[in-house]
Amino acid sequence: MLDVKDVVTAYGKIEALKGVSLSVEPGSITCLLGPNGAGKTTLMYTIAGILRPRRGSVRFGGDELVGQSADRVVNRGIALVPENRLVFPQMSVTENLAAGAYLRHDHGEIASDLEKLFARFPALKERRSQPAGTLSGGEQQMLAVARALMSRPKLLMMDEPSMGLAPLVVEEIFRIVGELNRDGITIFMVEQNAHMALKVAHKFFLMEQGKVTFAGAPGEVAQDEVIRRAYLGSAKAT
Amino acid sequence: MIVDIVQTLLNGLAAGAAYALLGVGFTMMFGVMRRLNLSYGATLMFGGYLGALLASRAGGALPDAALVLLAAAVTVAGATLAGLYVERLCFAPLRGRSGVAAMVSSFAVWMQIEEFSTWLLPLHTNPYPAPFNVASWQLGALTLRPEHLLTLLVAVLVAILLHRLLRASRFGLAVRTLSDSPAAAQAVGIDAGRTTLLAFLAASTVGGIGAWLVLVADQQVTPMFGMWSMAKGLIAMMLGGLGSIPGAVAGGLLLGVLEASGQALFGPQIRELIAWGALFLVLVLRPGGLFGRAAFDLDIAAHQRL
Ligand SMILES: Nc1ncnc2c1ncn2[C@@H]1O[C@H](COP(=O)(O)OP(=O)(O)OP(=O)(O)O)[C@@H](O)[C@H]1O
Ligand SMILES: [Mg+2]
Repeated sequence: MLDVKDVVTAYGKIEALKGVSLSVEPGSITCLLGPNGAGKTTLMYTIAGILRPRRGSVRFGGDELVGQSADRVVNRGIALVPENRLVFPQMSVTENLAAGAYLRHDHGEIASDLEKLFARFPALKERRSQPAGTLSGGEQQMLAVARALMSRPKLLMMDEPSMGLAPLVVEEIFRIVGELNRDGITIFMVEQNAHMALKVAHKFFLMEQGKVTFAGAPGEVAQDEVIRRAYLGSAKAT
Repeated sequence: MIVDIVQTLLNGLAAGAAYALLGVGFTMMFGVMRRLNLSYGATLMFGGYLGALLASRAGGALPDAALVLLAAAVTVAGATLAGLYVERLCFAPLRGRSGVAAMVSSFAVWMQIEEFSTWLLPLHTNPYPAPFNVASWQLGALTLRPEHLLTLLVAVLVAILLHRLLRASRFGLAVRTLSDSPAAAQAVGIDAGRTTLLAFLAASTVGGIGAWLVLVADQQVTPMFGMWSMAKGLIAMMLGGLGSIPGAVAGGLLLGVLEASGQALFGPQIRELIAWGALFLVLVLRPGGLFGRAAFDLDIAAHQRL
């Protein structure tokens, strides 16, 4: 579904991605692990068309995404839940969701999607007219996910959705990830919480210093000495 | 005594309504770009100079009313056009990159536009066509000056239109997402470059209308107008809080009232001093402005700017 090949993305002279290749199978939950500064967020932004790579290719269902603007990428069916949630703090919950549907013009369908999301996230419904900046961290994360869903994505990219959240909320998020996947949405997520990710993900990649250094199924992850020590070792928090 | 106070308040609000528009234009640009457009005043001056140029070349040939309307159109269009030039030249190429470089280049363009304007009309003082051959009205002991009424009317109208544009249109949604979180705006598919350009042009138009209101009240334009209008816009914006449109409206009105009160109490020399004094006081006591977000909030947003 998504094929990333030899992507190099740089900030000025510093290459954050030094030739990244990976692929996401349709219908899967694919998880990207990696230490701070590995380039995970940079990869997400590059796929989303917000950062432009120096070279390499990103193919999505046969279309080349490199060189396309971010709105084209959204239109193709990729939505990003950005790192740190990045809700629109001064806008209401409903307006945040309307922004998620910015590129759609089917107003009737948008309204019904909104109701469906409110049913899925009742906390958001209660706070529908509240500025998003006043929501709790967990609620903001739900809002960021709901906002991304408003574009009706085929591929949902999530950048550390559990960061800084309480264990119960993290479980809730992983439950939703599983649900969305069963509904047919392919998931590509960055996640440091490998314990949780191991329960839901079908495929793992490890990125270090701008390169993919490991790819494997959950069983292989548990075998890998390096990953075990870094991500499944004792008391390793997010 | 009461009448004096009301009269001062009225004068202040009328001047402040024009300041408010100057501030709103400035703050809108900051809101979408997180950069100060240092050639803002110069673009307004350019618009004003085009209006004065029209009067000096075609003044005799046109009926007064037509000249006034045409000058208004030329001034607002000139400010918007100059805004287009500045955005394309200074801000669009550096979007997502060095904010300082963009601001410095807008400073250079300030000088450029100012030189060009004074080349068009080399005299220091240039008459600006104004619609006020009308005498002031007396309402009891109050004097209602026609330019004050015009300013208040136009400013309220512009504020309502702008509010509707930003709250109830798709373009407004895009502008607000971009001011709130540029990375997320792009993640939901908002074309940041195009939205920034259009918002910049809308802001230049609002500023141009504010400039026109000042110029018809003054009935003249000088090379100082660029600096002057930027100072007023800057103070209105900072009093209200960087990036906040309602803040800039309140800041502009407050500035107008403070200046008018200062002038009434201590004489005209004190006017400018009061304005700058108020700015420093607010910045020290409430760095985020009276109504805006705190300054550090904006710094964070600036770091997140892609
Ligand atoms: N805007 C930027 N300008 C310059 N360098 C940047 C920028 N954003 C990220 N980098 C650098 O690029 C590298 C990769 O950063 P990135 O945010 O992609 O890492 P990450 O894997 O998402 O890390 P984390 O787990 O901390 O979120 C880092 O070295 C970082 O310092
Ligand atoms: Mg990251």
